[in-house]
Amino acid sequence: MTMPVSPAGLEELWKRIGSILETDAPLPSRIAEAAVAATGARDAALYVRDRDAWVRAGEGLGLDADGHAVPEPLPEGIFVRDGDLWLPLAVEGEIHGLLRLLGVEAAPESSNALAFVLGAVLGAHRLARQVRDAEFELKARLLELESLYDLGLSLGGQLDLSALADEVLFRSISLTDAGKGTLALVEPSGALVLERSVGDDVFSARDVKTWSLPEGGVINNEAASTPTAGLPLATCEKCLVVSIAVPGRRLGVLAVADKESRDGRVLDFTATDARLLSLFANQAAAAIETARLHRDAIEKERMERELELAAAIQRQILPRDLPEVPGLEIAAKNVPTRQVGGDYFDLFPLSRGRLGFVVADVSGKGIPAALLVSTVHAAVHLQIDEAPTIADLVGRIDRHLQRYAATRKFLTCFFGVIEPDTGTMRYVSAGHNPALLRRADGRIEQLGATGVPLGMFPKAQWKEQEVTLGRGELLCVYTDGVTEALDARDEEFGLGRLADLLAAPARPSELCAKVFAAVDAFAEGVPQYDDQTLLLVSRKG
Amino acid sequence: MSETCKVSAERRGDVAILWTDGYINNQGGEEIAREAYAQLDQGVRALVLNLEKTRIVNSIGISILIEVLEKVMDRKGVLAFCGLTPTIDKTFRIMGLAQYAEIFPTQDEALRKVSAQSA
Repeated sequence: MTMPVSPAGLEELWKRIGSILETDAPLPSRIAEAAVAATGARDAALYVRDRDAWVRAGEGLGLDADGHAVPEPLPEGIFVRDGDLWLPLAVEGEIHGLLRLLGVEAAPESSNALAFVLGAVLGAHRLARQVRDAEFELKARLLELESLYDLGLSLGGQLDLSALADEVLFRSISLTDAGKGTLALVEPSGALVLERSVGDDVFSARDVKTWSLPEGGVINNEAASTPTAGLPLATCEKCLVVSIAVPGRRLGVLAVADKESRDGRVLDFTATDARLLSLFANQAAAAIETARLHRDAIEKERMERELELAAAIQRQILPRDLPEVPGLEIAAKNVPTRQVGGDYFDLFPLSRGRLGFVVADVSGKGIPAALLVSTVHAAVHLQIDEAPTIADLVGRIDRHLQRYAATRKFLTCFFGVIEPDTGTMRYVSAGHNPALLRRADGRIEQLGATGVPLGMFPKAQWKEQEVTLGRGELLCVYTDGVTEALDARDEEFGLGRLADLLAAPARPSELCAKVFAAVDAFAEGVPQYDDQTLLLVSRKG
Repeated sequence: MSETCKVSAERRGDVAILWTDGYINNQGGEEIAREAYAQLDQGVRALVLNLEKTRIVNSIGISILIEVLEKVMDRKGVLAFCGLTPTIDKTFRIMGLAQYAEIFPTQDEALRKVSAQSA
């Protein structure tokens, strides 16, 4: 709508209302006041479009809002209705507002000029607001980009899952203008790692395991009535939910809900919101995975340090030098695996030239096994001179383990005492692998178990057996790390191969080297996971 | 319900300090505006907004803070922020709030500067 306005008329009008329009008062008040000053109206009110309706703008000049509805349909141009003059304030044909002048029954000569000037002022104000809104929007987009960048930097060095979750959740809520949000992280098993919420929970973390969120997430702008993807939502009207996941594995769920507007309405989430939240979730997933790997690496390092320490303790426990016992020739060797295992052997020169010895294999590996070995070592050294018989010694150690061992572990062991002069050997085998006895004629005899492993059953008892070691005969006590050494085809070295090696007459030290060389050759470099211990005692001829 | 933001205020001479506790969204922003306008109506010309208990601000909250800032400037007053998290600090700088309102690390620094400006 273009109004014929003369420059002179405009100049005249501006003299009357220019100073009013240039004050700091709110724009609706300035326009209404200027209109009153220009027309002598009793009062004035400005109406502007808000979505689909005309609404009163500002407070006006005491005009009662009731009963002053804008006529529908709106007549074209300036019109008078019920004793009031209505001026459409338009620029380039677009009506920006309607000015109502009370008590003006006929359009004065200056009406066109007034509508033109006030329309221009209102239009300029609108334009300024649009520019400001656009600038705000632009800054908000810049903030999103900066936030993505900052989040990447921040999460890159963030190893604390709790801080990481807060960072992601706060930024997600903030940048989507959500009223609330929830983030839950879960283990691969589905067990909850942590849950964070701002406002009421959007979902219950216990349901995370069973959700089947599609890739890219879910926008549910009718959350209250139509739960999506099996999503049991809590208290929200509209929500946006994405998975926090790495390929093949869900790490958690991130949800925001109830997007706010300035006028208090709950808005729909947009595709841009969904994209932004997905990006945040992706960054979170990468950071969580990094934090997990870092945690695992630290744990591994700690374990390795502990294992080294345990291995050092175990090395201290094993005898450094073998005793010289007249009438006997002894060889022994322990090959520990990378992980600390539970093999133990010891030799004790006893009264009357006798030799006591033990070979034991503790169940399990690592620190618990090393601790048990240490306990057994201490118990043996305390009891060896006190116990009247080997069976009694084994019983005492068993009771000690039942009472004091920190973990429910057991061990097999072979205890023996040899009298070099007679070759008499008394022994107890507590569930241990059969010891091998090479007779003078080359036959191999097996000395089987005489009782159950130690630490397994309360009040267990062990039989003590006696055997004679003839001159030149050889006793071989070993742990299952030797006979169960594996090759690349998972085949075991076996008792047969060991027996075959022992059958050929040789000194214990030579046999010992031969056995370990054979086991090595058999394994062909395949890493072994069990300690290997071999004790050979022969009676000199 | 969304996280509710609480706003408390205290007058120290010519300066009013407003403490926020919670999410500065529509509700939080309105609370701040209500308290700030009440202080302005009582003649206060210098406001310090301490946000040390606020971790989240959304764009609605920022637009309300801009309105508050404009009103303070209309009345030839001064507004300062303090206790911002690094994220909120950066948000305010990007969104233009820091152009017209100074940001201080601590409340004491903000009070010192604002008191001097309003004197």
